[in-house]
Order: sequence, then C-alpha cells, then structure tokens
Amino acid sequence: MSAANAAPITATDSLTQALKANIIPNQEYLLQGSVLDSAVEVLLHRLRGLCDNVDAGPETFDDQEVCFSLRDPNQQAAPLMLRVRKALDARDMPFQLRYIGQPDLGDKNRPTVVRSSLDIACSGMLIEFLNELGCRIEFEYSVKGYMFRKGRMKITVAKVFKISQSAMPPEPISQSYLVELSVLAPTGQDAIAEDMRAFADQLRPLVQLDKIDYKRLGHMPS
Amino acid sequence: MQREEKQQEAILQAILNRVNDLKTAIQALITKLETEYETINWPTFLDNYAILSGHLTGLSKILQAEIAPQLRSLVVLPLQLGCKRDEQLAQMTEGRVPACTHDLVPDLLRTKPEPQAEQRLQQFNHKASTLNYDTAQKQVAQFTKVVSHVWEIISKERENWEGESMRASGIQPTHNMADTHALVTAVGTGKGLRLGMPAIVPGVGGPGMGPRVPTPQMGPSSQTMPKAPSTIKTNIKAANQIHPYQR
Repeated sequence: MSAANAAPITATDSLTQALKANIIPNQEYLLQGSVLDSAVEVLLHRLRGLCDNVDAGPETFDDQEVCFSLRDPNQQAAPLMLRVRKALDARDMPFQLRYIGQPDLGDKNRPTVVRSSLDIACSGMLIEFLNELGCRIEFEYSVKGYMFRKGRMKITVAKVFKISQSAMPPEPISQSYLVELSVLAPTGQDAIAEDMRAFADQLRPLVQLDKIDYKRLGHMPS
Repeated sequence: MQREEKQQEAILQAILNRVNDLKTAIQALITKLETEYETINWPTFLDNYAILSGHLTGLSKILQAEIAPQLRSLVVLPLQLGCKRDEQLAQMTEGRVPACTHDLVPDLLRTKPEPQAEQRLQQFNHKASTLNYDTAQKQVAQFTKVVSHVWEIISKERENWEGESMRASGIQPTHNMADTHALVTAVGTGKGLRLGMPAIVPGVGGPGMGPRVPTPQMGPSSQTMPKAPSTIKTNIKAANQIHPYQR
C-alpha cells in the first residue's frame, strides 16, 4: 500500500506508456485457407516437418466461441463485435475475450491481411458481465483441431462446427478444415508478413493460404 | 592534371568493359536465335533479356555516378568527314564503320533525340498538360477497369487450366475455394451459424459456458438496449466516488 502511495502508477498509466512505446502486440497478420478432409493428414504431416512444437505430437485444441455484438442505442454506427472463447478440453483455463478490428487487405503488394486485435484473459463471469452491458449473442460455433508454432507464427488446422440444439453430434460447416496462419505483433512490424508469405508458399499446393475479405464474400451469392 | 587524365582513362575503360559485356550478351542472344531456334527452351531464352537489362543497368549506373560529370564536360569535335575507307577506324569498330561519312556521323554523335521523336514527345506533353483533371481520372478509372477485367479472365482461365492439368496428372485436389470461403465467412460473420441462435440448451455448450448464458434475458434487443447505458453510467459514477478516498 505504501509503495502505491509513493509512486501512484495506475494501470492506465502503464498501459498508456506501453502503447506509446509500441510494445503491445495489437496487430494481427493473417492468412487463411482450407484443406479437404481427405487431405488433412498430408497437411498435418507436412506441418509436423516444418514446425517447432511437434516433439510430442501435434497440439490439439477444442474451443467454443461466442460472438457478441454491442449496438449503438441510436443504431448509427456498426455494432461492436466481441468474441468470447472457452477451451472445452481444458476447463481450468480462463475465458478469452477478443476484439477484432476491420481487416485491412491493402494492395496486392501487401502479403497478408492486417487487422487490429486485442486479447484478454477473463474469468467465467465474463458472459454475465457482457450481458449486463447490453451485449447480445450474434452467433456461436465450436472449433476443434490442431495448433502448430513456427517461430512467432501460429498455424491452426481446425474443423468448424455448428452448435447443435439437441444431443445430436455437432454438424460441421463444410467438408474441409479451416487453416489459418497468424502472427500477433506490435504496429509496424511488416517484415513478419513476408516470412508468413514464404511459409505459406511451402504449404502449396496442398493449401492455398490467401488474403480473404469475408466482408466482400458476405455479399456474394455463393 | 595527370591524375585527372588517369582517372578519366579508368572510367573510360570501365565503360568500355561494360559495353563489351553488353555486346557479348547480345551476340550470344543472336547466335542462339539463329542456330538453336528449333530446340530452344523459350523461358530460358527470355532469361537472356534479364541479363541484357542487367548489363544496361550497370552501364547507366556508371554513367550516372559522380565520376561521370568529367566526361560531360568533354567535347567530341568532328574535324573532318570523308568517304575514304579508314583502316584504323574499321579495325576499331570490327568492320562496322569503315569511314567517317556524312550519313553516319549525325547518328553516332547524336546527343539529343531525333527531331521527329522530339516533336512527337512535345505533342504528347502538350496533350497531357491540357487534359482536364476529371477526364484524366475517368480515363484512368476506365483503363483500370479494363485491365482488371482482363486480369480476372486470365486468372480464371489459369485456375481452370491448373485444375485440369492437376486432374490429368492424377493428383487429387486438396483444397476447395468454396469451402475456404464458407469457413472464413462463417467464422468472420457467422453466416450459416445464426440459425436457432437464441435457444442455447445448457449442457450442450459445456457446463463452463452454457448455464452462464441467461437465455430468457436475451429477448429482443430493444428491451436490453435502454438498460445498458444506465449500467455503464452507474459504474462510472461509482468509480469516480471511490477515487478521492483512495488518494
């Protein structure tokens, strides 16, 4: 207590300082693709050859994600989207609250999508808190698959499931696995994007990792 | 003075070397074209152009470098023109220029573009400077549209072609664009995931998450809305009141 009186550094102060020093990894560099169920074993095999964390076999994960939206009472601005993720296979892990900004595709010279991303670990009270705040659930899904690491890069190969109403087994969205290659980095570290592109090239033609603008796809009659 | 001359000689030598490199490269290109035109591997042949352009860049780098101004201040003054064959000149140019004649000198010693070319350039410059900004923008946009359209056609064809060649070689496709888009849109915007959203059966989502989602409170958003800001306001007030006591 006395130490706090001597140097009244609040959490806000240290956060502002960290922001100024540009050490907060708040940018996500992202490439996305998919692989058919029939070829996923080949891809996993290749990733085991390329990645760092494969000594004890590939790391698995089984998460559930709920996407909340917080609408402006005046209905003017686009709703703010917040995502809550919970590990179903490791229940002692905290919930993850995540904000993802608008994806910026840039021109064709930019190797990856860049979007702002803020993650924070939360307790189980989170969902109640968000509800009290006026957030409402937009959609939810579960995602189950494998996670690989290569340096700062994270590669996930996962199946996306609809959450089913009854006791029926969850229904997969498609006959493919979603493949994502991402790096969280502070603003301006564009060099990592080149590394990602190089890594993505090594997975070709098995998977085609690309910049994908889901905002534009959403309007397409597919 | 002597040092300057030496320097000049060195530069000239360097330029000469570069030009010779360029010349041999062009010669090799021509020989290849003339002798191997039936068996040539065209992609490798195209690489020759890259070599040429490399030599050209090297040459222009030397000419642009700081040492070059010395050369710029030198003048080549043709003293005498003649139709008689000059053996020394012919030998120096490997038989290409047998004499310093009237029809060759204007081309060899030219420092400006040809009058015709200069005139056309001026015409274009004039045209560009008188063009309306909006019209120019419109034309650029139109051009971009055309180019992107062509690009689209080509890439589509390429996709088809690559798909066909993959099928032909017996390799099964390992990914599907439509699936990629479906997955990315689902995760990004919830497309295909929203059906039957409000009813979350506790237990399905897992004990950690399911029961905490208060389904009855979900309801229409208009009911939840007015409540939200008031909660925030009270929170802020409370925080403000707490602070003075802490410090």
